[in-house]
Amino acid sequence: MGDKIFTKQGWVESLRGLAGDYMVFVPVKEGDMYAFRHLDNDTKVAFDDYHNTRMSPKSIVYPQSERMFEYSLDKQDPDCNILKEVPKTFAPQAIVGIRPCDAHAFQISKRNFDTPEYRDPWWVQRYEATTLIGLGCNSPRSTCFCTAMGGGPFDEEGLDVLMFDMGETYLVRALTDKGEAFLGKLNGGRSADKTDREAALRLSDHVRDGMPDVVPVDPIRNKEIKDIFDASFWDDVAFACLNCGTCTFLCPACWCFDVQDEVYGREGDRIRNWDSCMFPLFTLHGSGHNPRAKKFQRVRQRFMHKFKYYVDKFDDGFQCTGCGRCVQFCPVNIDIRDVLRLMSDEPPVRLSA
Amino acid sequence: MKNLLEHTGLEPGRLHFSWISSAEATKFVKVAKEVSAAVRALGPAKYLVKRRAEVV
Amino acid sequence: MIELTEKIRDIAKKLLKDGTVDVFIGYKKGSVPMMNEPVLIRNPDEADLLYWDSNCGLNLCNYLTGRTDRIGILATGCNSRSIVTHIIENQIRRDQLYIVGIPCTGMIDHRAVNRAVGHREITDITESDITFTVTGKGFQETFNKADYLQGNCKVCRHRNPVEYDEMIGEPVEEQKGIEPYSDVKNIEKMSCDDKNAFFRRLIDKCIRCYACRNACPLCYCPTCFVDESRPQWVGKSIDPTDTMTFHLLRAFHCAGRCTDCGACERVCPMGISMRQFTRKLNRDAEELFSWQAGLSLTERPPLDTYRSDDYNDFIK
Ligand code: SF4
Ligand code: SF4
Ligand code: SF4
Ligand code: SF4
Repeated sequence: MGDKIFTKQGWVESLRGLAGDYMVFVPVKEGDMYAFRHLDNDTKVAFDDYHNTRMSPKSIVYPQSERMFEYSLDKQDPDCNILKEVPKTFAPQAIVGIRPCDAHAFQISKRNFDTPEYRDPWWVQRYEATTLIGLGCNSPRSTCFCTAMGGGPFDEEGLDVLMFDMGETYLVRALTDKGEAFLGKLNGGRSADKTDREAALRLSDHVRDGMPDVVPVDPIRNKEIKDIFDASFWDDVAFACLNCGTCTFLCPACWCFDVQDEVYGREGDRIRNWDSCMFPLFTLHGSGHNPRAKKFQRVRQRFMHKFKYYVDKFDDGFQCTGCGRCVQFCPVNIDIRDVLRLMSDEPPVRLSA
Repeated sequence: MKNLLEHTGLEPGRLHFSWISSAEATKFVKVAKEVSAAVRALGPAKYLVKRRAEVV
Repeated sequence: MIELTEKIRDIAKKLLKDGTVDVFIGYKKGSVPMMNEPVLIRNPDEADLLYWDSNCGLNLCNYLTGRTDRIGILATGCNSRSIVTHIIENQIRRDQLYIVGIPCTGMIDHRAVNRAVGHREITDITESDITFTVTGKGFQETFNKADYLQGNCKVCRHRNPVEYDEMIGEPVEEQKGIEPYSDVKNIEKMSCDDKNAFFRRLIDKCIRCYACRNACPLCYCPTCFVDESRPQWVGKSIDPTDTMTFHLLRAFHCAGRCTDCGACERVCPMGISMRQFTRKLNRDAEELFSWQAGLSLTERPPLDTYRSDDYNDFIK
């Protein structure tokens, strides 16, 4: 199927027409921030004014808290003490308007949840049921550095469909079979012609050329783990850090979780919750020993994992998409771009006021 | 404690404090009766009740 | 603000040079507008990193816990009260500290400013006496600082540091005619169900990141009750009852100690006003025990003293 053109209003109406086929998520404004929510008849869709959602859309595939198993502790029950997988349906869903960086993040997490040895059933089934309809970024923020992380404001990796915001209209392009199937179900729109396609190309080239290229990452690849691990700057980097969960919970590419049992009377649930390497509990052993008892060790882990361990293990990109959420929302302004510069022996940009 | 809980939506009359010495059996009986009557009058608790985690 | 910054740098240099302190805790300018970063200065030539403006709304006292060296520290009114609280709770010794007091005219509410410019991206902020100007792509707007103060600064009655070794500049006039607890009183007027709904809605976006807890100088317990697993006091998922339990208990642990510095609210990535919990307790401490935290190094707080005339109407 060739590219299609939809008026902005027509696009939203067509999406509403998908109600029977997909659960459609779109960005909406809630107070001071944006979030992906179900598209209903009265949803005010925020494609036009939103830059990105506060929380990344990772929770649509990987909820913050998820019940995995349930069990009975009733001695009379023949199934006592047997973990049973909680029945779930994984109906087709689509995230419409996801930014390319966040779609890229699913490719990163896939390496963790969908490996040749292990496949996380919940993540994989939800991911497979999800179609990702990206919206290219016409005006990236100053905190965005997707191009340095191997992506881009119109990058196609991980997307099934890419939308170009052409002002009055969207040019919509299917990138995968999943994307074709999604567009096939949509009513309306017209075929894009050569002029439309050229305009889209000009737009994306123009935005990409304007992206800052200030984050050097290659030197890290060539350095020894130990040299970065033992570097003297970690104490300073970590000083202000609160060891909160903001950076890791907002991050689209952070995937760590913790498993908890909750018991209610004679029944129980096994639930998994997002966890954060910034929390002391993350590495606390049953013995009471904590290999990362100090703040700077936890801070170092976050950056080392994203930019060194991940790189050494997969030799393909980083565990960061450059979405800039942690830069914008770290409450004490620990700027991952500055840390990257330190890790690659470049002077931080912000030397003094 | 009572004040904050009631400020955030606990019904007045749900939470009671009393100081009863081990020698004050009659006071204990009296207070226990009052408390159970007051709580019964309020019906089942709605506030801060978790039956099962509300998660997906 | 430039003058204050210069003065802070000079003082820090002097203190580090003459050995009065081993380290100096202040702020450096943020890489993102309205977000300055706390910084630890170890030697005089780093002191030029120090920076001051109305975007220093964290609580530096938070960085004192557990330190054994001699520390120079910047302190606004509320920060100095938290330091006093730290001292009387034996978290730091007075003689370890050289407190550089800053009479404060309030901190800017970054959320309100972002709202005011329709969430367009602000790339720079500059400040003059009573106004500040924000700039972004294709816009520039100037605001009166007084209209954009953080919630806690709007109702602040102690802008001047209560405890210091040296003060930068003249004391500022305290705000007059403040109605410190009108928000709390409005909630008090609600019905029980409305209160419940109000507080549930208040925290419905909470992601349990604990930034609020961790930004607070009062939360220094080696293991927080939410992190305990034997026994497990509270579930760790985002179940609304567990989240409420976290907020209620965190607030109780701050009773009679909170200085309403606003750090907790400032840092929340989800914009939650969890000060509504602590403020009720602050009001009760004030009404029932005539107590405001952190005003005196010699008086003991109401929760660790017993007086025969203590409020006890709630006990039958
Ligand atoms: S880097 Fe910032 S967001 Fe991350 S844990 Fe530290 S304070 Fe929180
Ligand atoms: S580390 Fe920061 S910039 Fe990178 S993907 Fe995560 S939140 Fe975005
Ligand atoms: S509870 Fe909030 S306002 Fe009170 S002292 Fe702690 S951080 Fe400051
Ligand atoms: S900072 Fe905000 S989101 Fe994080 S735990 Fe506190 S209230 Fe919840």
